[in-house]
Amino acid sequence: MIALLTAGGFAAGIVAIRAGQAEKITQAVLSVLFLQGVLAANILGFGLNAIFSDTELRRYPLDALHRRLASHVIGILDPFWFLFLALEFGLAAGVSVLGAGSFWRGTIAVILLFVCNYLAANVVALFVDRLIKRKGGAAILIVLILALALGPSLAAPIFKKNPTIVPALIERLQYTPPFGAAAAIVHSGMAAVYGLATIVAWILALAALLAALENRAPQRQAAASVGISWDSAYDRAGGLFGPRIGPFVGHWLRFYARNNRTRIMAMISLPLFGFITVRTAGRLGPNGLFIAALGTFPIATFLWTSRIAVNQFGYVGGAFRRYFLLPVESGVILRAASYASVLLGALVLPIVLLAWTIFAPRPSDRQMFPRMLVMLACSGITGLLVFNALGIWITLFNPRRGKYNASFGNDLSLGGNILVVGGVLAAFLLPALLYKAWPAAVSPDSWWIVLPLPLLAAAFYLGTLKAAGPIFTTRREKLLAVVEGKA
Amino acid sequence: MDAIRLTNVVKKYGPVIAVENLSLSVRAGTMFGFLGPNGSGKSTTIGCMTGLLDPTSGQIELLGEHFDANSTALKRRIGVMPETLGLFEPLYAHEFLAFVARMFGLDETTTRRRVTELLDALELTDTSKTLSEYSTGMRKRVAFAAAVIHSPEVLFLDEPFESIDPAGVSLMKQWLRRFTDQGRTVFITSHVLETVERVCTEVAIITQPGKLVWQGDITALQHNGQKFDSLESLFLHLTGERYADLNWL
Repeated sequence: MIALLTAGGFAAGIVAIRAGQAEKITQAVLSVLFLQGVLAANILGFGLNAIFSDTELRRYPLDALHRRLASHVIGILDPFWFLFLALEFGLAAGVSVLGAGSFWRGTIAVILLFVCNYLAANVVALFVDRLIKRKGGAAILIVLILALALGPSLAAPIFKKNPTIVPALIERLQYTPPFGAAAAIVHSGMAAVYGLATIVAWILALAALLAALENRAPQRQAAASVGISWDSAYDRAGGLFGPRIGPFVGHWLRFYARNNRTRIMAMISLPLFGFITVRTAGRLGPNGLFIAALGTFPIATFLWTSRIAVNQFGYVGGAFRRYFLLPVESGVILRAASYASVLLGALVLPIVLLAWTIFAPRPSDRQMFPRMLVMLACSGITGLLVFNALGIWITLFNPRRGKYNASFGNDLSLGGNILVVGGVLAAFLLPALLYKAWPAAVSPDSWWIVLPLPLLAAAFYLGTLKAAGPIFTTRREKLLAVVEGKA
Repeated sequence: MDAIRLTNVVKKYGPVIAVENLSLSVRAGTMFGFLGPNGSGKSTTIGCMTGLLDPTSGQIELLGEHFDANSTALKRRIGVMPETLGLFEPLYAHEFLAFVARMFGLDETTTRRRVTELLDALELTDTSKTLSEYSTGMRKRVAFAAAVIHSPEVLFLDEPFESIDPAGVSLMKQWLRRFTDQGRTVFITSHVLETVERVCTEVAIITQPGKLVWQGDITALQHNGQKFDSLESLFLHLTGERYADLNWL
């Protein structure tokens, strides 16, 4: 993979030189990679050190500086960052073969950018973590995410009206790490030195910011001692599933809702859903927004509960034993956990349908709009049920012990990552592929085509629940060993 | 009548034998101490007796009925405080206890009354903290409360007294005595032999791997005709005293 990425970067470098746009292409590629690194680390949790917390490292005879160094050395050695490094290194090497830049200076620039990218991702992650733990922090975070998601779309018309802004903006971007690295890779002389100095300055600033955030303990929300409340929304919602399984569903709803990562994902997934829908619509023809939404609706329904849904017992630790002491069949344990995830995912569906009704442009043919809504609802329900069914199988056959309280880091198993990342990619690509191969399938004219999909998905989901119950009973000792960290 | 009966129970993890051909019976109304060195298979045995683990072979009977992982009706009649406590960390104590009570089929009024009474009696009235924020002793009290909330007929307690302060231990012992006075059975594992000696009426000692070497009345501590003045001396005689002179320590 590393060799392939390096070769890809190398080819891009040569193309950039041959096209006579070496600096522009290098700037664009490095900027995109930098932003992708920060976003992927924060949304999917890759590349952020979640192995040792400071508390765990305090057991060893290490002072604060060494604890911090140990933690970040482990973090930066995550293979995730090396994928970016390989691409960037290939690009620098490609540019140096035919261009004026030096190979060694390019290599230094790429390594500095790699460090800078890691620091930037950690600063953002820690900032989000600290913010979410503050009173009112969640609301601020939503505003920030909305601003980030909608900002480019809102800014585009302004740029169109005032084209002189763009060169001025690019001029300002010279002070960013990717542009600094691009200057060091492409140019020689003082321009290259200036580029390197820019990245070094960013590294120092980000390291200082990271240290300041790490030193600043998260502000605990004041927890007042209150009277016991017996009337909880979780239990009321769980009660919908009957007296036998209801308390269990209520218990799982609490488990999901009190998880910081799930809450952050809940806030991120909806603006992200809107952003992705708008960004991918352009390439999908006149009905592009609708076709893109066919893919993003399933993402909206499963993404925010995905971490626990694909590893239902990985975060309960020793409490896993408790389930088997309760007077219920093993299948009930599995079903209750899954029902909670499906219920929470289903709650998103009316919200996104409402958002579609309010914000999406109405087609000229009035009949089309309700058809679109039906198709979108079918797509969302299908994605929700298929994903949760597959999540049960991953839970059973590829679980992983995770930290419930960890706000960042990717602690999913290989199967979990394949399902979540693969699910997002599939939801993205499938409508686009259908649009190219079989346009009728994603056209509101043939809306009835999608009607069987939720039924098939429901059959798959119910079949999974039925088949997985006995398997759960026989695999419980293996699962116990994994979730208690003994395997 | 025997409340617990194990017949030739074997538990293997691959080639490793954790419990070897264990046969044991505990009369109803007994406070039974189940002792053994670390790693001797006590928790594994409790795991088999409570449905967490499947024995590789052998029979388990609780309250006169065959017991296995699917015996949900029997599970309603037993209470368990597992070694790892089995607490759901993000919950508050009252939420956790109410969840357990409801799962054991208690109605809402009884659930609320018993949860409140248990929290008061065990001094777990700080409602601002989730279970993850509780001290070890407080977590143990919650796990004990969860084991007794449905008023079971047989109670399995794995290391119940460690980390709990003397007042808490005294209260728990008082409850357990009343429990057995009513004809119900308590099965305790512990390394605190003095407490076991004071609380239990009958004791079994196992050695690695889960092999029964002694079972008898706490008032008759004898082995091969030799009398012992304390449970500790009998235990050390059966399991072997160890000496290691580490001159650097």
